[in-house]
Amino acid sequence: MKNFKIFSILTVLVLLLAACGGGNKDGDKGASNAADFPKKKFELIVPYSAGGGTDTVARSFADLAKDEIGQPIGVVNREGGGGAVGMQNGANAKADGYSLSVVTVELLTLPHTGLAQFTYEDFRLVSLLNEDPAAITVRADAPWNTIEEFIEAAKTQKLKVGNSGTGAIWHLAGAAFEKETGTTLNHVPFEGAAPAVTALLGGHIDAVSVSPAEVLTHVESGDFKVLAVMADERVEKLSDVPTLKEQGVDLSIGTWRGIAVPKDTPDDVVKVLEDSFATTIQSEEFKATLEKLNLGHRYENGEGFLNLVKEQDALFAELIPAIGLSPQK
Amino acid sequence: MDLLLNGFAQVFHPSIFILIIAGVIAGIVIGALPGLTATMGVALFLPITFGMDPVAGLLLLVGVYFGGVYGGSIASILLNTPGTPASAATALDGYPFTKQGKAGKALGIAVIAASTGGLFSVFMLIFISPQLAQIALDFSAPEMFGLAIFGLSIISSISGGSVLKGLISGVFGLVICTVGMDPMTSYPRFTYDNISLLNGLNFIPVMIGLFAISEALVIMEEQLTGGKGFGKIIASYALPTWNELKKLWGTILRSSGIGTFIGIVPGAGADIAAFVAYNEAKRFAKKEEKETFGKGNPKGIAAPEAAGNALTGGAFVPLLTLGIPGDAVTAIMLGALVVQGIQPGPQLFETSSELVYTLFSGMLVANVLMLIFGLVGIRLFTTILKVPKNIIAPVIIVLSVVGAFAISNNYFDVFTMLGAGIIGYFMKKFGFPASPIVLALILGPMAESEMRRALVMSEGSFMIFLERPIALTFIILAIVSLVVPLIMGQIKSKKAKAINE
Repeated sequence: MKNFKIFSILTVLVLLLAACGGGNKDGDKGASNAADFPKKKFELIVPYSAGGGTDTVARSFADLAKDEIGQPIGVVNREGGGGAVGMQNGANAKADGYSLSVVTVELLTLPHTGLAQFTYEDFRLVSLLNEDPAAITVRADAPWNTIEEFIEAAKTQKLKVGNSGTGAIWHLAGAAFEKETGTTLNHVPFEGAAPAVTALLGGHIDAVSVSPAEVLTHVESGDFKVLAVMADERVEKLSDVPTLKEQGVDLSIGTWRGIAVPKDTPDDVVKVLEDSFATTIQSEEFKATLEKLNLGHRYENGEGFLNLVKEQDALFAELIPAIGLSPQK
Repeated sequence: MDLLLNGFAQVFHPSIFILIIAGVIAGIVIGALPGLTATMGVALFLPITFGMDPVAGLLLLVGVYFGGVYGGSIASILLNTPGTPASAATALDGYPFTKQGKAGKALGIAVIAASTGGLFSVFMLIFISPQLAQIALDFSAPEMFGLAIFGLSIISSISGGSVLKGLISGVFGLVICTVGMDPMTSYPRFTYDNISLLNGLNFIPVMIGLFAISEALVIMEEQLTGGKGFGKIIASYALPTWNELKKLWGTILRSSGIGTFIGIVPGAGADIAAFVAYNEAKRFAKKEEKETFGKGNPKGIAAPEAAGNALTGGAFVPLLTLGIPGDAVTAIMLGALVVQGIQPGPQLFETSSELVYTLFSGMLVANVLMLIFGLVGIRLFTTILKVPKNIIAPVIIVLSVVGAFAISNNYFDVFTMLGAGIIGYFMKKFGFPASPIVLALILGPMAESEMRRALVMSEGSFMIFLERPIALTFIILAIVSLVVPLIMGQIKSKKAKAINE
């Protein structure tokens, strides 16, 4: 009798686990027929936690895209491993077009740092949602008013530059800046961009190498000034801030977010998604949402997205080993 | 003041008032369920608020936040299964109350302390937030390291019977913290090429396992072996009397101050506030009273509850005045504000003063509602004690599995939780307390990364910890909390010996 009780409790547990697992596997096979695609709910995997920047973008996108594509899009947060867990999940998902993933620049950086087993070739890129460059931001009361002054100062003293974690995109941006300008910086890694910004606000570090989006409030309040953005073109909200290229430093680096599906997803299905998402992403509502979040907008279709990714992958393939972050065997 | 009155007028508008009520109730339920924390509750409700009017949306989130922080204590007092990390501190003295058949009193003290703490912090937020905001800026890596080390020194006071066993648990927790990417270099440690381990063992599943699953296993064992020990618990609705409460005001106020302060410090959440307040309540207690902590001292419930909820108002101070979040929940709130087109920062009080004061009034109302629901709900909550234990145990397990899975939709967390549950069961059997592990899991990573970050900033010089007054103060406090009880113990035993001889 006693054993029976334990046995039944264990059975319930096992069944419960099995039931959870079953949820992912059901659904009809052979959804490759584009004529009736889509006929059921989509799942959009976000590799970061609920409430963060990527999540907010994804949720606003899902909310707008569902009307255009005619089926609901459920957002699922699969965080962990700095995005590796979610993106691995997305790459392994069923290639029927119903499993969408948000991919970010970490799709390129994680494999080069040896923290992920996937590469961008495990995905079929559908559309680019946004892009944000890195920037060099200092306190408003800092002695440097231009990026040249900052670079000159960095050549004689070791300035403390905060980033969002070693190997994360803003650290790579800071390291690339260091390499291109021949300076030596003291990179201070924080757990995310927000604590780095707080430390700059408190005067504990000299600069941050995060995106304009993350410092804009403090620029507007007069606490910070942005010396340069690491983009091809100036940022709309900071139109008086020069790009590094204008200053003779050939460096464009930043983060981006896009939608991707597993690589074996049929062409006709991808086409349906690409066309529908093009309308959503270029809509005024979506642009307005990004604008509210202080995020940059950039749309590319699958092909344009792939070109961007290839170009950046080459940059990281060179940069990451150069700063000693490639996997040690 | 006019602005505040105007704010109240807005808050009592039916459409908004109902949202606050809904938020507080949803928060309490979310908080009470294992694994679902206030942070997760707010994140879940966030997308719903996108389409709402800013005030309505923000107050819904405020309700979920406040209710969620308090809700954790219900499960922790009644079942010893803390719903949130902060309420793990409440379980220390709350569950003994239930075992003594005084569940009603414990719940009453908890909700009164919680709402008092909450109200206290909101008043601080309303009246002196610009002055307090500076604290947030003064805290950087060395100060955070000091706070973390001070927090870790608390292990000696939450260890229950044996300090040695408490320290062993704490060190075990610290060892677990080393799994995952190195916080400074991102080098994977002890991950065995498993990407689920890159961010380390997720701390919530470990906590659910240590407390909830192990408790369920203990209940099952008792059922099978004929229910020895506390087989039957009498559910009493008796509320705390006025005299009992009178003795607690000092503790509640001190803890509210601690909670508000820790709330302002960015990156330190309700869990740290609750444990620090518990420790201070014990430190300030009279000598003979100290012994009763961990065995059902009302101050042991009042302190963590007051501090945990006082944190909420404190966390809003840097958020609203500087645009930097004070804890994980306010980090999500920052997103909510920005989506609504509100840029928090120094100019917020001028540009949107009406909104800010409506938010303040809503926060006061949410705390009062929490008090009402908490007191009215005691009868309802305690009925759970009448449910036969052989039903409770599987329900706890099912809820724990769901809760662990919900954190990041990952099976790995479920297995982590079950593993921790088995470890927790044996720890209970051999008298090792689980709270030090929770504390180590919260503070270990913080201590490590902040110390190393401070050393990066100082380019390797340890002087950075001695040159900065706040950091130094915390480090001295940590040493005092660790060493003084040991020395006192030595003196006591010597005196006892002398008397015996």
